[in-house]
Amino acid sequence: MLETIKLSKTFKEKKAVDEIDMYLDEGESVGLLGPNGAGKSTTISMISSLLKPSSGDVKLNGLSTIKNPSEIRKVLGVVPQEIALYEELSAYENLKFFGKIYKVKKDILEERIQEVLEMVGLKERQKELVKTFSGGMKRRVNIAAALLHKPKILILDEPTVGIDPQSRNHILETVKKLNEETGMTILYTSHYMEEVEQLCNRVYIMDHGRVVASGSKQELLSILSTEDTIQVQLSKKSDALLEAIKGMAAVRQVEDTNHGIRVISKKGSNILADLVHAAENVGTQITHFQMEDPSLEDVFLHLTGKTLRD
Amino acid sequence: MYPVFLAQWMKDKRKPYLILLFIGLSILATIIFGDIDRIEQTTVAVYSTESNAEELEQKWMELLGHHDSIEFVWMDQEKAHAEVLEGNSDVALQIMENDYRIITANEMPGVFIVNQHVHQVFTEEAKLVAAAGTNSTTELRNEVGEYLKTPPITIQTKSLDGGELANHDMGMQLLFGFTLFIAMFTIGFKVNGITADKVSGIWNRLILSPVSKTNMYIGHLFYSFCVAFFQMMVVFLIFKYVLDYELGNFAMIVTIAAAFTLSMISVAMLITGFVKTPEQFYMVYPSLIPMIPVVSGVYMQPGTITNPILQFIADIFPLSHGVEAMMDVALYNAGWNDILLPIVIMLLIGVLAMGIGINIVERKK
Ligand SMILES: Nc1ncnc2c1ncn2[C@@H]1O[C@H](COP(=O)(O)OP(=O)(O)O)[C@@H](O)[C@H]1O
Ligand SMILES: [Mg+2]
Repeated sequence: MLETIKLSKTFKEKKAVDEIDMYLDEGESVGLLGPNGAGKSTTISMISSLLKPSSGDVKLNGLSTIKNPSEIRKVLGVVPQEIALYEELSAYENLKFFGKIYKVKKDILEERIQEVLEMVGLKERQKELVKTFSGGMKRRVNIAAALLHKPKILILDEPTVGIDPQSRNHILETVKKLNEETGMTILYTSHYMEEVEQLCNRVYIMDHGRVVASGSKQELLSILSTEDTIQVQLSKKSDALLEAIKGMAAVRQVEDTNHGIRVISKKGSNILADLVHAAENVGTQITHFQMEDPSLEDVFLHLTGKTLRD
Repeated sequence: MYPVFLAQWMKDKRKPYLILLFIGLSILATIIFGDIDRIEQTTVAVYSTESNAEELEQKWMELLGHHDSIEFVWMDQEKAHAEVLEGNSDVALQIMENDYRIITANEMPGVFIVNQHVHQVFTEEAKLVAAAGTNSTTELRNEVGEYLKTPPITIQTKSLDGGELANHDMGMQLLFGFTLFIAMFTIGFKVNGITADKVSGIWNRLILSPVSKTNMYIGHLFYSFCVAFFQMMVVFLIFKYVLDYELGNFAMIVTIAAAFTLSMISVAMLITGFVKTPEQFYMVYPSLIPMIPVVSGVYMQPGTITNPILQFIADIFPLSHGVEAMMDVALYNAGWNDILLPIVIMLLIGVLAMGIGINIVERKK
């Protein structure tokens, strides 16, 4: 229902977004993942018609939205990265304001406000001023304000940055519910891998303004399907063991971690027996081992050579 | 437009202190400084260090002496300086052959009045000297005096209702000057709400909503108008009904105040075009605005400022036009026709500034 075609934005020489092709199908929950400065917010601004692309197009149901943005504005709910609320007003007053701005009909506005407050779990505190709220509560009001007019597509720009784990979970739950229960299409931007893993059917990974990978979680993980990751705990650490493992033919990488060592080996090479032997040889014991599934974090590391940093 | 307006009002409703403070300040400043020329006498210590001091004393004391509220007292230099330092006189005046110097320790408006008077006397004398071609102007002065007893043309200045022409009332000028000046701050701080909304992201939300951009601007600007207008009206009403000032035709004062507010809102909008954040505005605006009444001559007798550059700067801001028009109404019983021009000028400034301002603001993105 929504797609971008070679969408690009250049700020004075700097290519912030570089020929991005994306699509969102109705009812999907799609993640847009990338480190700070990757170009996520710029992409979202262009999709939501707040920023004019340098080139490329955004289409809603096949129609370009750039010349005539009113259609996309109608179906879109945008949760900006910043807290776009009047801090001097209460949560309720803010929602009433945005409800009126979005022309929610008078007779259902009150009901709608209570509904979205319920969704973000702030019904009891609606009378309090936003400036007295914690970061997490502000973020929740920020989301609520984008839901009043029942958008078909909800775009969230890093809605969980810098907040406590409880608020974060609450927000993730809310978004999941919106997607699953009301069928809202979601575009969720984050630089937290685990949020996107938990929430989204499909993921776009961005870096330096480009989409470096995309697909379902399984598809992305298959990029790494040639490797096994084994987490090993030892009764006693040993450098000699580390050396011995490095020498094994099937082993690609060995890492010293806090808990023990992490071995990445060729898929299906079944080196467990070799590991046990090697440990015995240097006089230590494996107390615990675990085959780890690769995470999207590993995919990102693999693709960009760096970790998603906060 | 209405919800935008309402939201601004809800924000301010919780902390109206700034407006109350500004209203109090307008009244207080007028009362404190406005009484200045009602003080019976300003004493000026006059001295000269020239060799012919005695001669100068005779000549200038006679010429300077014709002022109702300024008393000139001749003394020697040390005593004169001491008088000023101890605050017995606001001003000392040093007479030179064809020039003078004013020595003062404060910036009270009274000093301007003295300056004005002395300047006038010296200029007149200089003209006579130039006309007579000698330093002895007594003859010519008498001649001119005689001549003026039977002038070829007489112009009678009467106020519109036929009464005597009122003296220039400095207190009234300061009342209008301070009230409009302080309202300029209110206007600026309210218009700054647009920049604040842009930085906070609220503006983006509004853009995505069905509300049109024009309505968003109007909501903000109309609110700014109402607050500033309300502030001025409270001050004027207090002066009129509580402090018994004679403000003239009140409907005309109200009209001028409205035109001034519209005009100044546009100027504030233009200034927001040059800043990125509301904080920057808070730095720029209050350092810029206090210069306007100074160059507009609001603290001085009319005609004090003669520098054409300063006059031009004063003319491009609405303050001087507003104060002048209000003075005409309060003091000279001006009619609607008389205040039409300043109102049109203010509105013109408004249209221009708003056009340029919105253009810059919109292009900045
Ligand atoms: N208005 C702008 N002017 C100039 N550069 C910008 C502007 N907005 C963003 N950028 C640059 O574009 C890049 C992408 O920014 P952004 O889209 O905010 O990244 P993200 O949201 O992924 O953190 C950054 O390098 C940023 O500095
Ligand atoms: Mg961002």
